[in-house]
Amino acid sequence: MPSQDPRGRSGPSRRDFLRGSGVAAATAVLTAPAVDALDEARAAELAQGPPVLSGDTTITLQVNGQAREVVVEPRSTLLDTLRNRLDVTGPKRVCDRGSCGACTVILDGDPIYACTTLAVSCQGHAIETLESFDPEIVPAAFHRNDALMCGYCTPGFVTACKALLDKNPNPTLEDVRRGLDGNICRCGTYVGVLQAALDAAKALRKEA
Amino acid sequence: MAEWPQNPRLISTEIPRVDGLGKASGRTKYPSDVHPEGMLFAAMLYSPHAHARIKKIDTSRAERIPGVRAIHLLAQEGATLRYQGDDIAAVAADTEEIARDGVRAIEVEYEVLPHVATESQAMAEGAPRVNPRGNVQKGRAQINGDPDAAIETADAVIEGEYSVPVITHVCLETHGLTVRWDSDRTITAWSSTQNVMGVSQELGGAFNIPPTNVTTLTEVMGGGFGSKFSADSWGIAAAELAKKTGKPVRLFLDRAQEHMAAGNRPSATGKIRLGAAKDGKLVAMIAQTHGTGGVARGAGFPLPYVYAVPHSRREHSDVFLNGGNARAMRAPGHPEGCCLMEAAMDDLAEKLGVDPLEMRLKNLPEGDFKTPIYEAEIRLGAEAIGWSKRKPRGQAEGRGPIRIGYGMGLHTWGGGGAQDKQVSCIINPDGSVELRSATQDIGTGARTILAIIAAEVLGLEVDQIHSNIGNSSFPPGQASGGSTTTPSMAPPALNAATQARDELFRRVGRAINEDPAGMSLAGGKLLINGKEAMSFAEACRKLGMMPISVTAGFSEGLTSSGVGGCQFAEVEVDLETGVVRVKKIVAVQDSGLILDMLTWRSQVYGGVIGGLNYALFEERVMDPTTGLFLNPDMELYKLAGASDIPEIEVIAYHTPEMRARGVIGVGEPPTISTAAAIGNAVSNAIGVRVPRWPMTPMNVLNALAQVS
Repeated sequence: MPSQDPRGRSGPSRRDFLRGSGVAAATAVLTAPAVDALDEARAAELAQGPPVLSGDTTITLQVNGQAREVVVEPRSTLLDTLRNRLDVTGPKRVCDRGSCGACTVILDGDPIYACTTLAVSCQGHAIETLESFDPEIVPAAFHRNDALMCGYCTPGFVTACKALLDKNPNPTLEDVRRGLDGNICRCGTYVGVLQAALDAAKALRKEA
Repeated sequence: MAEWPQNPRLISTEIPRVDGLGKASGRTKYPSDVHPEGMLFAAMLYSPHAHARIKKIDTSRAERIPGVRAIHLLAQEGATLRYQGDDIAAVAADTEEIARDGVRAIEVEYEVLPHVATESQAMAEGAPRVNPRGNVQKGRAQINGDPDAAIETADAVIEGEYSVPVITHVCLETHGLTVRWDSDRTITAWSSTQNVMGVSQELGGAFNIPPTNVTTLTEVMGGGFGSKFSADSWGIAAAELAKKTGKPVRLFLDRAQEHMAAGNRPSATGKIRLGAAKDGKLVAMIAQTHGTGGVARGAGFPLPYVYAVPHSRREHSDVFLNGGNARAMRAPGHPEGCCLMEAAMDDLAEKLGVDPLEMRLKNLPEGDFKTPIYEAEIRLGAEAIGWSKRKPRGQAEGRGPIRIGYGMGLHTWGGGGAQDKQVSCIINPDGSVELRSATQDIGTGARTILAIIAAEVLGLEVDQIHSNIGNSSFPPGQASGGSTTTPSMAPPALNAATQARDELFRRVGRAINEDPAGMSLAGGKLLINGKEAMSFAEACRKLGMMPISVTAGFSEGLTSSGVGGCQFAEVEVDLETGVVRVKKIVAVQDSGLILDMLTWRSQVYGGVIGGLNYALFEERVMDPTTGLFLNPDMELYKLAGASDIPEIEVIAYHTPEMRARGVIGVGEPPTISTAAAIGNAVSNAIGVRVPRWPMTPMNVLNALAQVS
């Protein structure tokens, strides 16, 4: 299992986690010497591993192309760090446990849920929030198609849409649905949202 | 009524909302985003038990945590907590993380009391009492005619029990506010509310200062759906913390407490006997209904609904249990009444062998102005969904285990406005125009509607009007509920803009020695006797130093009330898994004169998607053993995502007669009949009634199991 490296993005993926559990289960039937060997290997890995962080910790995050120094706690989420400490309030806190997508930001090109990502794990990685997007492309398509009502889920949808189009500039409606399925809207703006994503793709292709 | 608007240039066209780009680019600050200098973060401690007495509270450990600045108790020792999520205390700290530490460090000794968490628990003989007057409180029976005699004369009678569960609002921005004391007698509150004036009044009342000393600001807000009319206990707690610490405080509920304590839509269960003559004409209804608003009353709903029932008796009880109190939710009572009525109508049509559509046409109230509207809407909807493809119940077509079904439902709503609201229109010498009112835009497009009206009058573009609302210090505006905002605010906006325009003509006329009677505004220009004289901005410069500021109110003839509307659903149901997929919804809606076709459509789409959620997914699940709310989150409390959205065809019933009715609100009506139509479509597909909403695999399979 990869360690929680404060200098790099951590985040054991589900696959890593399952693989890790498999190792743990296998360990149970290993002989004692084998277990000792494994423990030694782990201890060695830990010895040169990340420092244990505690209390106020100063980190630097690359947010929308700017280096932002900020004091966080190791437990501070990326979302709360952006919103509460850096006044980057585009991403919203809604479910606070990675099920609604309102907190979506782009980390090294991938959309992630900032509410379930630790800020300390994001050092050295490029964090983009929707405030940095060209307002004439994705946000404008949302605006034109009235793909928002109260607007609280909208930043997450706009960000997920941008991340989708960065990777797939020519999505089908089904691609768009899949790309935005990690986000939830309560006002019921989906019809406009799907159209906005397709329109934004068209606008991007024209620009390219 | 038809004098306004004459030859509109903007009204009834598709105009993107004026605040849309700010929201879509993440730049607009919500009440939960603002961060006044020195702000502290607050978090709530709430009851972990369904029913308990607080024996002891010790905050000393919490107070010693570095960074915790103040603690405010909302419940004292000896107080009874009546549901999981009930308020106990609020903690303000330098960071949100520390505020939560503070919450965890408060030591509370509880005496856990027996609870009733479900309706069957609450209604059981000898159940612990939530309300001293009993858990089941019967209202007076509503009787019309002689139902007992009449039902004996019916050719067919059905008896069914139908139910709709408690659901919650799930506002994406949780309830809360950011609050600052500007002096020892003045407050600024950035509140996520549907009612800026109400929040000022409540905060003023709580601290014994005039409401005018409390400025409530809601530039935008993240959803209310009827649950955000109050400053709430936690809002007052935040202001207490701000007062104690001398610093601004931000307090927004966490997601779990939002579900538990910030409102819900009551359940509705009805045992209904409905009888009709052979031709489908209704004869009588006898219904016993109940519902729960948790610890509060308020589980009423209309029944009979929409249709003319010559003889009826309806007995209703409110059931009290250890759950958060109900609040108004989008079209309060109507989706519930609609589901129950429309299910019974369909079951009866089935029994009679009458086409459910024909049965509905037959039972529209005679002489009601809405009847011809419904008739026209039903025709349009039936055509759009392809009603002719519908097979009688039990004969649905499909492939493999999939069956296709069709269903429909009708609804009604008021949607008229208040007559005591005001708007100011300010025309500045630099040519800028501002509207002001203490109403707010909860996502409906109210801000845009006001700008459209003024732009139409002043011959300007919509983005040239600064529609400044969401500020309690402005002239009194409407609270946003019951589809009343637009009909309340459109007349004063029109009157203010018109009077401001006329004042502009008078003062420009004086300045350039022209008769104001010959003046008009169009295309950003001032015209004299139809000829372009100068730009609007130039005309405004003639005002010198003194802006025009006009405050105007209501006038007759611009609005009305009372709408119909019908919806049709096509669904596919898998008989083996019980999974329902909605393929298409058709929503036909009238709402008088439509001001902005784009935002109007969004309201209808949103209403339908809300209804689809009620139909398929939403349910508050209470655990009878522990009394706890099992799904206060957004993964087990399910809402539709992009892949769940069917084709939705919105048909605006917007004939000249409808336009002539004037402005009527549209927030509520389109969310009412969706769940009813889907429920009927499911029954049509699988051949049996699914009597419980939502149409989850479990409820669908249970219904199938009943007959096999």
